Amino acid sequence: MILIVSFVTFTVLSSCSKTWEDEPLERFTDEYVWDVHDSLGQKAGDFLNQIYSYLPQGFTRLDGNYLDAATDDAISSQPGGAVEVMASGGISPFNNPDDNWGKMYTGIRAASLFINNIDKVPLSIKLPDGRSMRPVWKAEARFLRAFFYFELMKRYGGVPLMGDKVLQSDDNVQIPRSSFKRTVDYIVQQCELAIDSLRPDPVDMINLGRATKVAAMALKARTLLYAASPLYNGENIAAGDSLSGYIDKDPERWHNAAVAAGDIINLGVYSLDADFRDVFITAGNSETIFARNAGDYHQMEDDNSPIGYSGTSAYANGRTSPTEELVDAFPMANGLPITDINSGYDSTNPYFQRDPRLYYTVFCNGTDWLGRPVETFNDGLDRPGTDKVQTLTGYYAKKFMGKFETSTSYANEHQTFIYFRYAEVLLNYAEAENEYEGPVGSVYTAIESVRQRAGLNPYKLPADLNKDQMRAIIHNERRIEMAFEEQRYWDIRRWKIADSVMNQPFHGIEIIRSSSGALTYTIVPVFSPRFTAPYQYLYPISYNEVASNEQMKQNPGWK
Amino acid sequence: MRKIFLKLLFCLLVLPVSVIAQRQVTGVVKDQNGPISNASVYENGNVKNGVRSDEDGRFKLTLRQGGDSLTVTSVGYVQQGVRVGSSGYVEVIMQPSTNDLNDVIVSGYGTTQRITNTGSISTIKGDVIRSVPTANVQNTLSGRLPGIFTQQRSGQPGKDAADYYIRGVSSLNPAGNQPLIIVDDIEYTYDQLQQINVNEIESISILKDAATTAIYGIKGANGVLVVTTRRGKLGRPQINVRTEAGVQVPTNVPNYLDAYNSALLVNEARQNDGLTPLFTQNDIDLFKTGEDPYGHPDVNWYNAIFKKNSMQANTNVDISGGTEAVKYFASFGAFTQNGSIKDFSSKNGDGLNTNYFFRRFDFRTNLDIQATRNLSMRIDLTGRFGMVNEPNTDNIMGEIYDFTRSTPYGAPFVNPDGSYAYMYNTVSMLPTLNERLALLGYSRVKRNDLNILFGAKENLSDLVKGLSISGQVAYASTWDVGRKLLRGMPPSYHYDAASKTYTLNPNSGYNMPTYALSAFNSISNKQVNLQGFLNYDRTFGNSQVKGLVLFNQTSSSSMASTPSNFRGYGISAGYYYKQKYLLDLKLGYNGSDRFKTEHRFGLFPAVSAGWNLAEEPFFKQAFPFIKLFKFRASYGLVGSDVVGGNQYIYRQVYNRGGSYSFGENNSVASGIQEGALGNESVTWEKKKSQNYALDVNLWDNHVSFTIERFYDNRYDQLVYPGSISAILGIGTAPVNIGIVHNQGWDLQFNFQGKIGELQYGIMPVISLANNKVIYKDEAFQRYPWLFETGHPIGQPFGYTWIGFYKNQADIDSSARPNVGSIHPGDLKYKDLNGDGTIDESDMSAIGRPNLPSTNIGLTLNAQYKGFNVSVLFQGAFNYSLALKGTGIEPFQSQFQPVHLYRWTPDNPDDALFPRLTTDPASVNSPTAYMSDFWLKNAHYIRLKSVELGYQVPTKWLPLKINNARLYFSAYNLFTWFNIKIYQQDPEVESNSVGDSYLNQRVMNLGLQIGF
Repeated sequence: MILIVSFVTFTVLSSCSKTWEDEPLERFTDEYVWDVHDSLGQKAGDFLNQIYSYLPQGFTRLDGNYLDAATDDAISSQPGGAVEVMASGGISPFNNPDDNWGKMYTGIRAASLFINNIDKVPLSIKLPDGRSMRPVWKAEARFLRAFFYFELMKRYGGVPLMGDKVLQSDDNVQIPRSSFKRTVDYIVQQCELAIDSLRPDPVDMINLGRATKVAAMALKARTLLYAASPLYNGENIAAGDSLSGYIDKDPERWHNAAVAAGDIINLGVYSLDADFRDVFITAGNSETIFARNAGDYHQMEDDNSPIGYSGTSAYANGRTSPTEELVDAFPMANGLPITDINSGYDSTNPYFQRDPRLYYTVFCNGTDWLGRPVETFNDGLDRPGTDKVQTLTGYYAKKFMGKFETSTSYANEHQTFIYFRYAEVLLNYAEAENEYEGPVGSVYTAIESVRQRAGLNPYKLPADLNKDQMRAIIHNERRIEMAFEEQRYWDIRRWKIADSVMNQPFHGIEIIRSSSGALTYTIVPVFSPRFTAPYQYLYPISYNEVASNEQMKQNPGWK
Repeated sequence: MRKIFLKLLFCLLVLPVSVIAQRQVTGVVKDQNGPISNASVYENGNVKNGVRSDEDGRFKLTLRQGGDSLTVTSVGYVQQGVRVGSSGYVEVIMQPSTNDLNDVIVSGYGTTQRITNTGSISTIKGDVIRSVPTANVQNTLSGRLPGIFTQQRSGQPGKDAADYYIRGVSSLNPAGNQPLIIVDDIEYTYDQLQQINVNEIESISILKDAATTAIYGIKGANGVLVVTTRRGKLGRPQINVRTEAGVQVPTNVPNYLDAYNSALLVNEARQNDGLTPLFTQNDIDLFKTGEDPYGHPDVNWYNAIFKKNSMQANTNVDISGGTEAVKYFASFGAFTQNGSIKDFSSKNGDGLNTNYFFRRFDFRTNLDIQATRNLSMRIDLTGRFGMVNEPNTDNIMGEIYDFTRSTPYGAPFVNPDGSYAYMYNTVSMLPTLNERLALLGYSRVKRNDLNILFGAKENLSDLVKGLSISGQVAYASTWDVGRKLLRGMPPSYHYDAASKTYTLNPNSGYNMPTYALSAFNSISNKQVNLQGFLNYDRTFGNSQVKGLVLFNQTSSSSMASTPSNFRGYGISAGYYYKQKYLLDLKLGYNGSDRFKTEHRFGLFPAVSAGWNLAEEPFFKQAFPFIKLFKFRASYGLVGSDVVGGNQYIYRQVYNRGGSYSFGENNSVASGIQEGALGNESVTWEKKKSQNYALDVNLWDNHVSFTIERFYDNRYDQLVYPGSISAILGIGTAPVNIGIVHNQGWDLQFNFQGKIGELQYGIMPVISLANNKVIYKDEAFQRYPWLFETGHPIGQPFGYTWIGFYKNQADIDSSARPNVGSIHPGDLKYKDLNGDGTIDESDMSAIGRPNLPSTNIGLTLNAQYKGFNVSVLFQGAFNYSLALKGTGIEPFQSQFQPVHLYRWTPDNPDDALFPRLTTDPASVNSPTAYMSDFWLKNAHYIRLKSVELGYQVPTKWLPLKINNARLYFSAYNLFTWFNIKIYQQDPEVESNSVGDSYLNQRVMNLGLQIGF
């Protein structure tokens, strides 16, 4: 009997040991990803796709709000969220809703890993023009890595540059920050390395979203524009601190920025789309240089439609409330600012004959939507005064939405979050060239073409503008053309105007409808932002990074 | 003639004497479960005159010395003395004992006795907890076993098992503190234990120190809970039937403010924030008068949805007995526990049972077969079939708490035309709960557990005396399948009382959507365990020698994952001299494939020794009443292979993930990303454990106690390094660097007394465990109060409350947050770093972890003739409960009585709650600013269980019934809690919102019959 038991035990034991694998065979190892036999580079290609996924999210990424709700363009309809923290100067080394530090370094590591390993894969695929794919892919990774560094630079100034190194757990991770100058130079140099290897523009439809030559040029142009801006170039928040900006002031930096933007204009590949709204909801339009496919959906509509439309399709949560300041920044359709006595602006009928972009950017009272006018007068359908979250300013954000004025419900739109578009290139050029050369003809041309496409009539600017007047126009044009595109938040910083813009109350509008239907408009303060200069011009390095890295220097003014 | 005379004389002289002295006594010996066979019954003071009870517990004895009392003993029971009445018939009801010197105590892979035991073991018999009316065995252990800490988080039928730990927690790894559970030598998962029917349990032991757990090696660091099931005994078949039914009532029903009071507070909060009031005076008046029940509803949704009570019932049948060749125990149990929701479906819906409920059927057969003279075999087969039902809506209690989803004035229960209403003017505009409960269907999980164990033991005494070899194979599997019957949102309408019109809820259509059926599977576990033992136990003169060599292998798998494998060897040796000097050595050598080959196996030694002073002659002379006075100590090493992360943390792999979308059609391009870095040298956590104890038995074991002191040093804990910069760009693997110390006391006292025929017992138990994080590679903190190191595991951090801001001048002169605005009546916090700003730098350790560090229990029982009563008080001290979210915050929680004590200008000093505000991120929000205003030091005492029983005298029993007992039992009967005003159960999870299914009090009536 005992023998039988032993025998049974033995057979069960021995069969057990053969049934199961010792190692996790279902997992990918180095050899699978950098497959030395795969001429199609399928897994390596998937790895490259992943690097794209670290590109920053856009749109309503902060508790359902746009980043722009942390500027004077808008506020969050619901108090207490992440953007309110940001608009109130609440960012700290412990709490930063827009930190992005770890994510960017994850992307940087992935890109370097790809650049270091892709040569192992015997790629045989080619671009339609016959070029081998390997340098193209490598350049994509290089461009993305530069993009990630730019995202860090605009938040923190100079940051640790990792080069091509991919660190392991026993390597020294105590790497100091590089100077602002070196960081900028590195981004520009990496863009230049990538430009000639990247796909030519425009990219074919199935590869929409991939980095192209002009994307790298646009990144370079924006980087140089930022670097030339007052915050870093001359008005460094801590004079002599090479981490927070240049230690000197050099007007040539504007020239470099103008040349980089001018190069794109001179290529002539991109042009402004005739329809402002199509830029954001049609695939492969002539204006979009580099964008993220956000999805075929109606998330913008769900998040931001006036709340009275809830139930029409899905939800209408009106999360972002644009300010009166933004609305007032839009000129009249005749191109004149509303403050101009000749503009024809009527404060008792404030939304009449304004820049068409206003109607594409903001829901005002009376804007047509889903078959009825928006009602943001008090007790109107979209401002009922209940405890449901609703507009605090009398406006809702409309930008990026589909053309649903007369529809009965929402349909999916091809929504792209645009990183670079041609209009920005024109505005970048205009700004840099105006700063360097003054309001020369090419500055006029660039900015007027944006105004023309917007539908202003006349779109021409007065011919005798001085440099400061032109600067004011360019700054305003950036604000209204690129509202909610995550530009203004950084613009008010690099222009170093945040301490004035963000320290005065933001306004909304109270509209009272009398029994006769007449509307009275009153502008009321709705939110008091807070911004402490100078240290809040740069983000603090998160406390954990300073604590875990002895070499990590905190930004000036942050404790 | 002379002879005759002498005989007569003899008769005359002797007979009367012997008639008086020689008295026939008959009787029966039993315990609560029925007859006890083989009990010794002897004449008081005359040990030589004794008999043993038969299979039915009956005996017949002739008293020779003229006394009228008997002494009855049986192993495992308290010795009993009984007086024989005039009838000459007695019924002796025995009390199980817990401290008999020779009681068998189940330890790991074997048994021991209190007198020779040198390790730390606490044991409880199944009888003691059998009548506690709860489905889960772990709910019955708290307060009875020293060293066990439990917290029952929810009362939901089928999901109400308590969390439990042995001697607190000592691992930084969240999943790393669960004790190993061994049921009849099979390893069970943490949640499998709750499926066991208490009726099947013979005894439960918890093994606490290294001496008892080292043999489990890599799995022993959290202590071991060993369950043995009942087995057949020699004798005729005994059938036991136990049936009981009870009523469940929540331990604590939350009280919410009505519409009138809620509306007043809503308006007040809005006014505080400078917003226009939501309700006009007319609204308020209508809420108050209730004249407009549809335009101004006032519904207490708790009362509307929940029943006052619900039923549970439990029936168990078992049969046991045996011959020399085969012994058997077979049982069948059926348990059903109903949910506390009213029935909405049968009247207005489709008659689906959408209520919570739990049903369980289980069976067990344990067979012992003596195949040959030396070969015995066991075959155990057990199966459990459970079914848990839930409504297909979110957590009901949570929704009733949640002010954003239901308000007292948000909707009438039904509209005047009988249609359902919805929560008008809330964000999600959900149809009322009664509609969703009636029409949204259910989610039902059927779960099956099957265990098979086959074992054989060959007695090798012919070869070497005292030697045996045995082996066993066990198979355990658990799988479940869920069925979900769900449909889309049914239509609901808002009735406008002014215009008498109905508006459809825009989130649904007019039509009733059809049901959709889906299945899901969440558990599919399989485990095969092989064990082989070589056992040696022999007594030579004064010396007893015990030895054990074992091999143990487990392979378990879940779903499609590669099985995780464990293999171990163990050696145990014991030498006991005259039961006075005791020495045990344990050695575990085992490994787990969670680690790299060269780091897989570890050696876990332990040594324990005891010295029983009571056996020393000088001691015996000095203190003859002391039966046991034993010092014992143990020291050893144990380990834990439970680590977070994927199964193979020692190597870095790539994962699918990070997809991105390219192209005009938004086609998703799949991604591959780098996984966390591997740690080649990753290995198990280790625990060095010291245990010192004193075991004492006095006065014929009427008094016994055990005091234990333990020190654990748990090191090499796998933690994620907190001090690595994110510029590395990738997650790191955990490293074996964490250190936690844990120390404490276990005390158990047992007093068995007797006044006449009243027997009583007093059994207090105290468990203390305090841990402290010594090292966990925390990032350097800029202020000393920010460090988590040096505090217990789970230490809460928050602000220190120093009062309310009194007025604007106070605000201006005090530190305050730089986000949001501050008003008088807001919570004011201490500015620890003195920079004038309240921010994260001002958070420090506040309060205590949620797991109590002190657990006490007091069992009192008494027995008089057929009556018995037993109560258990259980209490926990030294823990904190954090209140937040829908449990308390205005506009997230329903308004509760505590909100009436808010700060107002008229009530600035006695406020129990800050100024009301609508701002969810204000300084008054515990979610945004956790502080010791919200984190309360808590303690409670519960009347955890009560049992009242009456044993019907055997002679009254008809038919073949030989035992009948009636009993009343209760669970969670009363609770004394120091912070009742917050309406939370003392055992809810801290930082949760306390909105889980309410814990239940159960009152139960039962009948037990034996044949």
